[in-house]
Amino acid sequence: MDPAARLGPAQISVLAQLVVSTVLLGGIYALISVGLTLIFGIMRVVNFAHGEFLMLGMYLAFWAFLVFTADPYFVVFVAIPLFFVVGLVVYALVMRGVIHASHNVQIFTTVGLSTVLQNVALVAWSGDFRFVRPWHLSTVLRAGATTFNLSQVVASLIAAALTLALVAFMKWTHAGRVMRATAQDRDAATLMGIDTDRVYRLTFAIGIAAVGAAGVLVAPLYAVYPTAGLQFVLLSYVVVVLGGLGDMLGALIGSLIVAAVEVAGSYFFGVAWKEIFYFILFILVLVFRPAGLFGQRGAETLGV
Amino acid sequence: MGALLRSRRGAVVFFGLAALTPIVVRDAYFLDSLVLILLWGALSAAWNVAGGYAGQVSIGHASFFGIGAYSAALMVTRFGRGPWLGLLVGVVLSIGAGLIIGFLSNRLKGPYFALSTIAFSQVLLIGVSRWRGFTAGGEGIPVPFRPGFATLGLGHAGWVYMALSVALVCYAVEVYLERSRVGYQLAGVREDEDAAEALGIPTRKLKVGAVALSAALTSVCGSLWAQYVGFVDPTYVFSVDLSVRFALNAIIGGMGTALGPFLGSLLITSLETYLRATFAGVKAGFTGIYLIIYGTALILVVRFVPDGLAGIASRIRWMRRAHA
Repeated sequence: MDPAARLGPAQISVLAQLVVSTVLLGGIYALISVGLTLIFGIMRVVNFAHGEFLMLGMYLAFWAFLVFTADPYFVVFVAIPLFFVVGLVVYALVMRGVIHASHNVQIFTTVGLSTVLQNVALVAWSGDFRFVRPWHLSTVLRAGATTFNLSQVVASLIAAALTLALVAFMKWTHAGRVMRATAQDRDAATLMGIDTDRVYRLTFAIGIAAVGAAGVLVAPLYAVYPTAGLQFVLLSYVVVVLGGLGDMLGALIGSLIVAAVEVAGSYFFGVAWKEIFYFILFILVLVFRPAGLFGQRGAETLGV
Repeated sequence: MGALLRSRRGAVVFFGLAALTPIVVRDAYFLDSLVLILLWGALSAAWNVAGGYAGQVSIGHASFFGIGAYSAALMVTRFGRGPWLGLLVGVVLSIGAGLIIGFLSNRLKGPYFALSTIAFSQVLLIGVSRWRGFTAGGEGIPVPFRPGFATLGLGHAGWVYMALSVALVCYAVEVYLERSRVGYQLAGVREDEDAAEALGIPTRKLKVGAVALSAALTSVCGSLWAQYVGFVDPTYVFSVDLSVRFALNAIIGGMGTALGPFLGSLLITSLETYLRATFAGVKAGFTGIYLIIYGTALILVVRFVPDGLAGIASRIRWMRRAHA
């Protein structure tokens, strides 16, 4: 049969739905990943505890909703300063001492932090699956042949806005320029009078604020439990490696690619298999383009 | 041989005591702890072959553990053959997987390599969880207990000697890597790959070989673990937590030292057993509290005592010698 003939109205509406879902999911993944890539790009540390801050954000949304019946989309504006402070504290207690240490020390420090945070949540709030069910979760929007729910749309919009704000901050503000300068050459930046310790502190706090906000935003869409961060952090590794570690715009494009793979994978092969596709994609990228799809070749073997 | 034993006094005492214990002690709980100390120690020693000696730090070693555990369990339950054959199949599959990961290690360094190993274990986790027809999926597989050596249905004392044998094999591999030409070459690769390459050391082959060897040893332990515990399920055997645990014992004991992983296992496993007894009443709380301590210990050790218990011991020895 002629392939064009197969593309009837039904197929086009499916395609439209898949594209809309991809964009919505990609916006959320971008906010989750942008903090990871920021911390990596400037501090040269892969934060293996990244998913746990997301999980804490989800719990914040859950408790705020349960105790104050606060809508997660208002809580997110409380979460940003709150997680900024959390980031400052964690930086001072844990990260500061290992910032100049070897990769192994950094890897296992953040892995240890991840274990601690997961289990603090387990002890404090038990392993039960919890759900946040605001009114907008059951509100369905229709546009043409596509449908999606209001929570997802708002979450994606806020996430995309925050991500773009962060990109703009890095590009156009003095603090952003200082941060990028430190990323490019730590020693030269120090010689120019930049206090690199302050830069790292700020970077870590911004990264954690971003992922904490993302946690609040995704809380209505996924179950909340102590290891909820794992699935997202694995995904954000894929995003970040795809986009090139440290590249914020790359992370945006990477998010869309991962979301597309997930949406198409679950449509054609079933939801159960969706993760396997982006892990295979991940391994393929690591093998063939380890510096990311648009990154410079060789970055991965420099050990940066 | 005599000189070797004298220079390894710590190991002689450790493994000697382990061998004598089943003769003196009959307490099942105590012997169970001993089996676990030896098995976790052997697993960390296997991890150490790649992570400590070759510098290929993996957080996905649960892949090989799971392959071993599932090969043994499926060989018994699906094919009605003995677990030993499963153990062998597991070793072959793990070497294959180790070669794939080892190949990645030639292109990726530091955090990139660690990330790729996590991804690999997650692919296996998802694959095994979803392939219900063959692996029984997320429900897991109960492994039947049939008494006898051929079916690995051993008593407590039998398991102590089984675990001890594997532990000694892993230890011997580590000692070999400390004393042989290949071992020195690996140390060269770990410390400065470019310099090693320039000296004509086949760095690529060595790294892949070390990862494959480490994978094979891990798989053997996984097969035995499945038979000992009698149950395998994908979310445990392929978990990131398990991979971290292999690394944790080795780091706390001393990375790149032969006895370190066993010292780490002794400390961590005893701590776990003690806490399990203490918090027996608190059901959900136990695992949590134990893991909080374990995570905190990891953070503190890598920061303040990066060479672990073995490092502390050798520093004390050094100081004594300096004073004498």
